[in-house]
Amino acid sequence: MTKRLTWDGALGIAGVLLFLVGSYIGLFVAPAERHMGDVQRIMYVHLPSAWISMLCFTAAFGFAVASLWTSKPRWDRAMTGAIEVGVVLNALLLIQGMIWARPTWGVWWDWDVRLTTSLVMMLLFAGVLAFRAFIEDPERRAAWSAVAAIISFVDVPLVYFCVRWWRSIHQIQSTPSTVDPAMVLPLRINSFAVLFIAIWMIVQRARLEAESASGERVPEPSRLAPSEGAEHA
Amino acid sequence: MPEGVIIGGWGYVIAAYALTVAGLVLYALSLVRRRRRIHKKGRT
Repeated sequence: MTKRLTWDGALGIAGVLLFLVGSYIGLFVAPAERHMGDVQRIMYVHLPSAWISMLCFTAAFGFAVASLWTSKPRWDRAMTGAIEVGVVLNALLLIQGMIWARPTWGVWWDWDVRLTTSLVMMLLFAGVLAFRAFIEDPERRAAWSAVAAIISFVDVPLVYFCVRWWRSIHQIQSTPSTVDPAMVLPLRINSFAVLFIAIWMIVQRARLEAESASGERVPEPSRLAPSEGAEHA
Repeated sequence: MPEGVIIGGWGYVIAAYALTVAGLVLYALSLVRRRRRIHKKGRT
């Protein structure tokens, strides 16, 4: 039996292939940075993780608003997917950042404003996921977690702009005009790669949520008709 | 601007890429596994 390739499956495969190409160029073709040397090659996974995790949380904010506005379960599922994938990428972002910080800053971690707000962003959205687990009623869960996601989103612009607003050891955002074109290419390829992979993951997670929700709606036979004596046990 | 360049550092680069790939692969596998478990539950 052959399975048809779905649009999200094709996007996931394209993401993996792009990641292989982008990482090859980033690791072996792009030049080493003038001061950081080869360590700077971490940028080709660090920046895509940062951008796409923030994009996931921004999408989650939009889905949360749509969920509250329409009360349609599909927005709640999409929000859950976007948050979970965003948290995974945020965790990877922090790990990559720590690995990059050690040879360049001399420390694994610093309570710098960019690092701290990024950690808070991950904890806030992970908190939304944990919060969901405590609410059994699907409608209440959707509404309350949408509100929690909207509140958590307040940290996302802070993460982005904090390096401009406050003193930070972390550099401010680069632009294609300040980066060597040979470095921009692998960065762009890996950004699209992580974006495509993230979309595939969000779709899978949303489907998982839908499938488990359909299981929630159908009570187990034992709950419908408890066996005699079970109530007294 | 300080002068000089960091020598070496490939160990850090390899660690960052390996952990990124491992994280993405493990999460993707967890999604596939969780969906399979629900399908199995639905059939029984």
